[in-house]
Amino acid sequence: MVLSYFRRGYSTFTAKVIDVPPRLLSFLFFLLLLVFPLTKPSSDLLQTLAQYSTLAIFAASWDFLVGRSGQLSLGHALFFGVAAYSTGGLISHFGLPLWETIPLSVLICVLVAFLVGFPCLRVKGPYLALVTLAFPIILLTIFLGLPSDWFGAENGITGLPVFFPIEKGLGWQAQERALYQQSIAQYYLILLFLFVSSYILYKLAYSKTGIILVSILDDEVASKASGINTTKYKLMAFGISGFFAALSGCLYVHSGHTGSVGLSSLALTQSFVPIILTIFGGLGTIYGPIAGAYILMFLGEFVLHDLMLGLAGLMTDIGLVGLGQHLEWNISTWVGSGTSPGLIFIIIVIILVIKWPTGIAKSLVDKLDDLQEARELEERGKKK
Amino acid sequence: MYLLEVENLTKRFGGLTAVNKVSFHVDEGEIVGLIGPNGAGKTTLFNLITGFLKSDSGTVRFKGKDITRLEPHEIVNEGVARTFQVVRPFHHLPAIANVMVSCVSPRGARKLEWLKSPERKALDMLEEVGLTEMMLEPAENLAHGDLKRLEMARALATEPELLLLDEPFSGLNPIETDYLLKSIRRFHLDGYTMVIVEHKLHALMKLVKRVIVLHYGEKIAEGSPKEISQNKKVIEVYMGRVA
Amino acid sequence: MIEDLIIYGLISGAVYSLLALGFTLIYGVADIVNMAHGAFYMLGAYMFYIFAVEYFSLEPFLAVILAVILIGFIGMIVYRVFIDPVLDDIVAIMVVTLGVALVFQQIIILHFTGSDIAINLLSGSVDILGLPVDYHRILAFVVSLVLFAVLWVFIRKSKIGGAMRAVAQDREAAMLMGINTERLYMLTMAISASFAALAGILIAAYTAANPQMWTSPLGMSFAIVVLGGLGSIKGSLVGAFIIGYAEKAVTIWTGMAYLEGATSFVVLVVVLLLKPAGLFGKRREMEE
Repeated sequence: MVLSYFRRGYSTFTAKVIDVPPRLLSFLFFLLLLVFPLTKPSSDLLQTLAQYSTLAIFAASWDFLVGRSGQLSLGHALFFGVAAYSTGGLISHFGLPLWETIPLSVLICVLVAFLVGFPCLRVKGPYLALVTLAFPIILLTIFLGLPSDWFGAENGITGLPVFFPIEKGLGWQAQERALYQQSIAQYYLILLFLFVSSYILYKLAYSKTGIILVSILDDEVASKASGINTTKYKLMAFGISGFFAALSGCLYVHSGHTGSVGLSSLALTQSFVPIILTIFGGLGTIYGPIAGAYILMFLGEFVLHDLMLGLAGLMTDIGLVGLGQHLEWNISTWVGSGTSPGLIFIIIVIILVIKWPTGIAKSLVDKLDDLQEARELEERGKKK
Repeated sequence: MYLLEVENLTKRFGGLTAVNKVSFHVDEGEIVGLIGPNGAGKTTLFNLITGFLKSDSGTVRFKGKDITRLEPHEIVNEGVARTFQVVRPFHHLPAIANVMVSCVSPRGARKLEWLKSPERKALDMLEEVGLTEMMLEPAENLAHGDLKRLEMARALATEPELLLLDEPFSGLNPIETDYLLKSIRRFHLDGYTMVIVEHKLHALMKLVKRVIVLHYGEKIAEGSPKEISQNKKVIEVYMGRVA
Repeated sequence: MIEDLIIYGLISGAVYSLLALGFTLIYGVADIVNMAHGAFYMLGAYMFYIFAVEYFSLEPFLAVILAVILIGFIGMIVYRVFIDPVLDDIVAIMVVTLGVALVFQQIIILHFTGSDIAINLLSGSVDILGLPVDYHRILAFVVSLVLFAVLWVFIRKSKIGGAMRAVAQDREAAMLMGINTERLYMLTMAISASFAALAGILIAAYTAANPQMWTSPLGMSFAIVVLGGLGSIKGSLVGAFIIGYAEKAVTIWTGMAYLEGATSFVVLVVVLLLKPAGLFGKRREMEE
């Protein structure tokens, strides 16, 4: 009897403390991603999806750090950029193969993460955020000034290999097919990384480590009094976060038809990307940023892009030619391109933070939880 | 060998000496009371012993081992647990998760036999202090009395040998006070050694065999409750000068 | 070489002190870490450009005044719309103001297409210690110090200044005494933003303006404030000069001008590591 009481307590407890999305939903979601290529999407769309998948990993890594250990990182681009530049640099200077440079880059980045984590131990709150903000800016400035044969200065490094390279010298048609297959292969490869990364991050966040991190976030002194080595765990959070952020950076560089890395990987806008995705989806959930990535991709690529073009056309039609033209020319600034978040999304995030801090995916999950609880109460009422 | 041995412990804050060459010891299985007017340095002493503050000089030995310079979590893992004067729960976590944190710390996890999970142990602890009903309530929703019990459960879950309780009776109504008295007696029988800081002397004197009195950071008296209540210096300190 | 350092460091320091003062004011009084502080600096420069060059062709003096007042106003709006709803959540404030700064950046890019613009205030120069110093830099120096002094007196002597100090020490107590914190915050924000804007105009006039120019002043403000101790006005002054000199020293000795932006961030990190309390290490008291 005690055991059944405990079992019920456990499942409701995890559901209340740390929300668990219904397994079914997650399963369906990944299934959808898995079978999507069967709908014969264009090569570009596949590329975009792959891109957003890497950003999803990036955002999940940020969410782990901020939503679990409470250390606000406003400079997450540092990890992304360091890994990206590491793999790019290692290839362009030492000609190492992909499967060597990527693990090396991730390792380098984890070391950097610890290096950043150390000073962050001594400061907290806004100061910590500022330290994290400072690092990528410093690095960016240094890279800008270094001689161009080091890291390509403003232009970055181009001509890097990608996953599943195609043969050279193919005829036009054969090349088209090969490129398409490359896109599909890359899509699945990155999806695999996404599955594994999200699973690991999820497990970590919703387990003993997760509870410890949350306890540190809630009250570090009390956590110490419970026997927790808070320093170790805070650093660990940085390391884990840095690991997955680095992974996403490497994946990003080596996907697409040609690989390249540029200063944008260290820019502030890059640091803001995981913030947008996570706030959209729900802070501290791990599944939130991932869901957020796809929601925003969907919104950005399909809905908003066409909406903006349509709006631009409308403006021109009704005589506001200036406005219409402005919208059309500047669509990438408004909607975003590649990894650069559009103005619209930044504004949406601001509004979200002010009005709806829980995040969309989490709110959905909360609603589902409430429904389930209501159902359970009804069941119990009936039994009586 | 004493369980706890404090020797000439001193802590200065700028010009103020909060704890001045305090020495005392505690035997295994004792309950010792620590009293003194406000500002006497009792909590500071606790903070020094448990590593939350670094002392300027003096030593603290636990089971013969010098723990003076250890980090708070290391001291907990040696077997010294404490509660706080003003409770410090993990506000956003439910009660059971609060206790679970202790259960996943190195020492707290030690006693988990292969059948037991941290959740199981946490549940047991909550039962010990009578909080099973509240197990899923976020700590921020709990009443003061319950929070005190939660604090106790968290401390106990670290499997300590020595318990330092800082004003455990503060804010409790008579029923809760009675319950706590019974609990502490039970823990004593279970083998826990305790040092209790308390202002509610009537409750404290029922529990302890030995009392240490602090005033302005110095130990001014030590003895049985009866001896202390008759000690002139102690009376002066609490009542003001008598003629 | 040394004369370079002394003179330019002096001027930088003076203008930076305005910038830092705005930042420390809003932090000291309202506990707000305004990541958009640098954005106001940037907007100041661009607004001046719009008033004096692009859309209107006003007298530079008038353009400056208008731009500063406008930004002050925008600061109040930013407070009311974006910060006030999340006043108690430090993280939210930082994220929101960072977002606002990015929005401003993107808007500037939309309009000015990301290339630098140049502003002109005064022309002509004078010789000091054998070095030709623009009138304009001298103006910047004088204006900055004068305004700093004015604000200092204002905070120490006036009623509103007293209210600010009261709120900085204990918000709840101040409210209990009948101080309308909301209006006070708005006023503080207006002052903070307009000071940043003025600093932006003064500095951009002898450097240049670009849409990314808001990050350096942000880092600088923070570095100065951390260096000088949060909420300490005197500290902002001292910190500003230290940073000003540090920057110039780095630029002059390494010859790499672009390092200027990163210097303050490096100082920030170093100070936070060594002495998180800053030189004057006060908590939140708006004293000397």
